[in-house]
Amino acid sequence: MNGLWLVARREIVTRGRTKAFIIGLVVSAVLVAALAFLPKLFSGPDSYTVGLAGAQSQALRPALTGAAGDVELTVREFPDEAGASAAITAGDIDAAVVDGRRVLADGEVGRELGLLLESANQATQTQRQLSEAGLDPAKVTEAMRVAPLEHFSIGADTRYSSLRTGIASLLVMVLFFLLIFSSMYVAMGVVEEKGSRIVEILLTSVRPWQLLGGKIVGLGALALVNLVVIIVAGLGSTVVTGLAADLPPGMTGIVLSALFWFVLGYAFFSAMAAALGSLVSRHEDANSVLTPMTMLMTVTYLVAYFAAIQPSSSIARILSLVPPFSSMVMPVRMAGGEVLAWEIALAAVLMLLATVGILMLGARVYSRAVLRTGARVKLSEAVR
Amino acid sequence: MIEIDDLHKRYGDKAALDGVTFSVRPGEMFGFVGANGAGKTTTMRILMGVLTADSGSVRRDGKALTFDDRRRFGYMPEERGLYQKMKVAEQVEYFGRLSGLTASGAKKATGDLLERLSLTERANDTVDALSLGNQQRVQLAVALVHDPEALVLDEPFSGLDPLAVDSLAEVLAERRAAGVPVIFSSHQLDLVERLCDSVGIISSGRMVASGTVEELRDREGRGLLRVVVRGASPGWAASLPGEVVEKDDEVLVAGVDGDGQEILRLAVNAGKVEHFGWQRPTLTEIFREAVA
Repeated sequence: MNGLWLVARREIVTRGRTKAFIIGLVVSAVLVAALAFLPKLFSGPDSYTVGLAGAQSQALRPALTGAAGDVELTVREFPDEAGASAAITAGDIDAAVVDGRRVLADGEVGRELGLLLESANQATQTQRQLSEAGLDPAKVTEAMRVAPLEHFSIGADTRYSSLRTGIASLLVMVLFFLLIFSSMYVAMGVVEEKGSRIVEILLTSVRPWQLLGGKIVGLGALALVNLVVIIVAGLGSTVVTGLAADLPPGMTGIVLSALFWFVLGYAFFSAMAAALGSLVSRHEDANSVLTPMTMLMTVTYLVAYFAAIQPSSSIARILSLVPPFSSMVMPVRMAGGEVLAWEIALAAVLMLLATVGILMLGARVYSRAVLRTGARVKLSEAVR
Repeated sequence: MIEIDDLHKRYGDKAALDGVTFSVRPGEMFGFVGANGAGKTTTMRILMGVLTADSGSVRRDGKALTFDDRRRFGYMPEERGLYQKMKVAEQVEYFGRLSGLTASGAKKATGDLLERLSLTERANDTVDALSLGNQQRVQLAVALVHDPEALVLDEPFSGLDPLAVDSLAEVLAERRAAGVPVIFSSHQLDLVERLCDSVGIISSGRMVASGTVEELRDREGRGLLRVVVRGASPGWAASLPGEVVEKDDEVLVAGVDGDGQEILRLAVNAGKVEHFGWQRPTLTEIFREAVA
């Protein structure tokens, strides 16, 4: 076991010190943090400034402020239409009501603000007309005070669906890039050791499984560090932007499941990468020999991307149980919506079994092929 | 004592090793010579366990070598291998630790060894920044860092300048003096002759000669007499028994039976004998003869 830790430690120390790793760490963190800012940039503001021009518009003021609710609304008065128009053009106000009849805006009025103005107008007009019909204004006001409808969902909680889809898609990208990069590093490391024949000295002191395991554990630890940094950067920036308050419940679970499934997926793909890498002695041959792995990984990515958008489709449900697709589809489904406990358990057990299987097979191929330098070793020869 | 016993290894139809047998005692330096492709590297790789033989065994003191035994051996493979982007000292320490040294033990051994190999100043350079000669020294340091119980070096002298050859020879002699069996292969036969206690000559996967250098020279030199007689009349040697080659005062007689006393008597009669002795061939001559 000691040999495995020594190998892992070397990988962590030498790889973790490289510029490539540190730059990758910083860039991925900045990128994810920036993505967490995006909704803030693209969604409209939650605060509006409305101008009221002309005496008749002033009647709207109580209804407007009353209907605003969560929305932050500032009301400004203008003596006439010209002043309000100038303020709109200057961008000081979002819209203006002129003479209680017309709404002015630069282009279209946003949906939220439009509804607000409509309902304020509705209330004010109704009140005025009822008063004119001879009803007691106080009683009219009383009669018009209506409790808003309460909302209940009898299906899945969909309040956060778009946010959940966003988080799931982001997760797919992060998992895919980390998986493919770290598996590639494992393969490249294997080829480097085989090509330079260091492996011949190494294998007089450590067993093949220790060398293979140490490499996978060491580079995996670095990838996990990268994932944690990305998650911290992403969540940290939501706190800074105030978006954190809007995050769906169960974020801790989503994060933990992402880490758990990443470890399994990484073990699976890196064992595959190491086994395939051990078949060749030159870096130039590495890409072609790794094609089956990159293909499988790309298919997994595409399926997981689909699952991020359609988390409850039957394809997503089925593939979230099938290894190695489950390593990406399941965490994405869990981020994107509700997943039944038995599905998670079954997917985890199947993926664990598949991972153990591929680790054993990978170790077998590796130990047989890694000392056979020269021409590319046929996979069938190495398995036999 | 390390014993290589009747190793066989085939690659397809070709027999790479065909009954290779030799042994090396503690404190003995064994030179392993043979033409390219004769089976030296294959034998050493089997000895180090990175290749398995089809049959035959490698033993130490009568017991089959285990992984843990080999872990305490020092090995320098034919094709040099180092992590190009890793610093010299870190790399030597790493291999020391893999061979079972503690962190502090590996650090100390590395420091001493780099000092000994004049690499102290390059300790924090990456390997790819070093000259080939210095990379070779690092490779040697990797083989020596854990104070190995045996040394197996495949062509350790190839590519070294004469000074580096001397310092490597010195290091190996130290290990031999410490009772370590040293096995190395080389094409530089004069070097093997100078350094080694015993020699094994391999040709096409078979051992064609082995023993101490003296034994080989005696054995191969048997029957070849060199006689120098001053003032003898030309043609005096023509009647000597055996094949005679005459050149000035020097006479070489091949295929001599017995102890040669008869020839000595004839030489004394012919003139003043300046030299009379069995001709001992150089290792190069023995090698040519053996693999021919």
